Amino acid sequence: MSPETPRAKDGRAPDVFSRGGWTPMRDYALSEPVDFLIVGAGAGGATLGCRLAENGFSVVILEAGPFWRPLEDFASDELAQQTLFWTDDRLIAGDDPIALGGNNSGRGVGGSTVHYSMIALRFRPEWFKCRSQLGYGFDWPITYDDLAPYYEEAEEALKVAGPVNYPWGPPRRRYPYRPHEVNAAGLVLARGAEKLGVGWAATPLTTVSAPRGKSPPCVYRGFCNYGCSTNAKQSALTVWIPRALRAGAQVRDLAMAGRIDIDPRGRATGVEYFREGAWRFQHARNVVVAGYAIETPRLLLNSACPLFPKGLANSSGLVGTHLTTHAGPGAWATFDEAIRWYKGPPNMAVTEHWNYTDQGKDFVGGYAFMSQGPLPMAWAQTLATTRGLWGAALRDEMRKYNHMAGFVPVGETEPRAQNCVTLADDVDQYGLRIPKVIFSYSENDKRLQRHAVAFMSEMLAAAGGYDIWTNFKDTSHLLGTCRMGDDPTTSVVDADGRSWDIPNLWICDGSLFPTCGGVNPSLTIQALACRIADRISRLAATGSLASA
Amino acid sequence: MRTKPLPALAGGVVLGAVVGVVMRAVTEAQPSEKPATRSYHADKPTGLSGAAALLAASVLADSALEHYRGSFENPAMVAPLISSALTLGSSAGRIFSLSRTRPSRQKAFVLSIAVGAAGLGFHIYNVFKRPGGLSWLNLFYGAPVGAPAALSISGWLGLAAERLAAQAAPAPRFFGLPAGRVLAAFTSLALIGDVAEVALFHFRGAFQNPFMYAPLALPPIAAGLLAKAAVAPIAKTHLLTRAWLWTTFLLGMAGTGFHAYGVSRAMGGWRNWSQNLIDGPPLPAPPSFSALSVAGLAALSLIEREAHAGDRQGR
Repeated sequence: MSPETPRAKDGRAPDVFSRGGWTPMRDYALSEPVDFLIVGAGAGGATLGCRLAENGFSVVILEAGPFWRPLEDFASDELAQQTLFWTDDRLIAGDDPIALGGNNSGRGVGGSTVHYSMIALRFRPEWFKCRSQLGYGFDWPITYDDLAPYYEEAEEALKVAGPVNYPWGPPRRRYPYRPHEVNAAGLVLARGAEKLGVGWAATPLTTVSAPRGKSPPCVYRGFCNYGCSTNAKQSALTVWIPRALRAGAQVRDLAMAGRIDIDPRGRATGVEYFREGAWRFQHARNVVVAGYAIETPRLLLNSACPLFPKGLANSSGLVGTHLTTHAGPGAWATFDEAIRWYKGPPNMAVTEHWNYTDQGKDFVGGYAFMSQGPLPMAWAQTLATTRGLWGAALRDEMRKYNHMAGFVPVGETEPRAQNCVTLADDVDQYGLRIPKVIFSYSENDKRLQRHAVAFMSEMLAAAGGYDIWTNFKDTSHLLGTCRMGDDPTTSVVDADGRSWDIPNLWICDGSLFPTCGGVNPSLTIQALACRIADRISRLAATGSLASA
Repeated sequence: MRTKPLPALAGGVVLGAVVGVVMRAVTEAQPSEKPATRSYHADKPTGLSGAAALLAASVLADSALEHYRGSFENPAMVAPLISSALTLGSSAGRIFSLSRTRPSRQKAFVLSIAVGAAGLGFHIYNVFKRPGGLSWLNLFYGAPVGAPAALSISGWLGLAAERLAAQAAPAPRFFGLPAGRVLAAFTSLALIGDVAEVALFHFRGAFQNPFMYAPLALPPIAAGLLAKAAVAPIAKTHLLTRAWLWTTFLLGMAGTGFHAYGVSRAMGGWRNWSQNLIDGPPLPAPPSFSALSVAGLAALSLIEREAHAGDRQGR
């Protein structure tokens, strides 16, 4: 389960669709600069790497974690699957410190898409102009219309299985695959929504509802928040990485990036990384950081040099700031009938009502919420940590497991400077300063959560649930910290993810998000990566790429 | 989820009625009687009986699989198994001239027609009772609306074969109309219904394999040609229509092969048959096209025979 020696080397990489299989892979020399050296093989890095390689660039992707083979490495065992999360030392602080682990990290080729819950929602168009149109947060440097074709490209690549008619958002092309059958936990949401008169839909998911190449249709085994051992899940590991390898990209697993090197002209020349017991240096014409909202600012800050003493790309002082997360306060209820919420993907029904309705809110921002399907260990953990149940009391509560249903929102939080990722003085096993993640909710964030919990509780009761209780501690996706913008003084990168300070340094992951919206971010990250790849190719065609 | 008391009660009544009819038919069964006068068509309608038998076999296997999948939650879910088995047996009995009486066969066919109609009601109710009511999601995953109709159709085909056998005239009639034309029109409509059902489920499968378009491309043409044969001036040959019906017949058989390939693509493939046979594409469904093709061919034979009979009468 824990292959802690690199697999992707010597001209071959693991074949994700077979046990023990290999697929050929290009081998680039360290001394020869590659066109793009990408740090991180998750939703941002793998997607960008694939699209750039397909566009003819030489690409090397560094990934700190292992290169999994789902069929042999992913056990149907919650405990064994904890190795998928990034659990290296970090410090957390603030009034509402964020628990780091399974909810918001992924270590391995494919990043956190290996264990994401596969929800593929688009941003509400107005969120791209949040400040001008909705009066809060920041405007993005792009519009929904700029991104729409790339949303479509990502949905097609991931073969999203979604409703024939999705009730929210502007008109769009039909999802490539049809929706999955909604499980009983999802039907609780459906019943409640119909009672309260709000819309609901089968959640668009990136697990296939019909065969797709070597991916069999989903068997609804319910282990989606861990590794999918059937390969029905369409993740960066199973979609973009195989394509990237075919197009000539190289992936180096178990390669921890420590520092981006800058030449005296202020250009990035490559990355120092630790692999197989030694520090190595890969030369590159362009460096892309795609480590997500903690590791991306951490690498930029750790790469401070005499020319950029505050860290790379940080002339604005914004690197690491304006961290947002999605608040996930839960509402839970007991039902007379058996729900068996572990059956199928965990979030099969969704309502985006409060993402698209602005009346009746005492807060700014939005939230979507979904039906839930926690597995027993995760559920026991929730009961123990939020209700303090232990021993006989925990056992009694766990006996209701098959009769529980509940909702958790993806609740937008405000981007605020004081919520940030900085460097602690402690160092990790590589000798790199570890990140310190500071987070507190704003008053608005708290009002949003209270609204969500009240509405979800009302819906659970309307669906026939009783003994309703709530918890306020959970968060999920981490976003922001290197936001994109139109102005070098108020943003870290431009609309193409290109650093304002260092013309051959790029960022391509969720840390680009100026605001976090009320939906899961993976689809938007992948759409952004497709767009950035497109933009880079156009810039190259016009000779506007930096030549190191 | 448990079946609510009212549908369960209704289901119980349906199942009870089916069992009652079967019991009565069994007790009344008489030794086979030779018909007093040998019917003109007595040896002819084996095609129709074959169509009824094949369709009933398709329904039997399909409903057994799907209703097993649904854990026979409602008692009525046993009814189509019984009635399709009886229709299969009765049609086979006619083909192989086994010792079943005509009245008992007729009862079996009427039973299939009735159970199919009741099933249609249950399946429509099942779609509407789900959250969202009449929606794509419920059409995909609720009880398949069109499936029970196939049971009724098998009953009608069996009954038609009996009627033909009973008529001494060289140009038999159904409901006062030329039998061949009635049968051609009926089969054409049945084909269209079948295509609609396949369109829904292949749409659910996102047409992930290009061959999934084949049953939407070929059978509608067969249906059109049959409809033309039903209303066009009477003809002695229908070469194109026959060829197209045979193609549709083969398509139905090939469909089972494609569905078997579909099962192999599910996690675990055929090694995991006990799960994948139930959740994969249904193996017994495609031969319904073959069955209807056979019925169409029988209809053409009747039309052509009528044309020849007209010639003999100097028409």
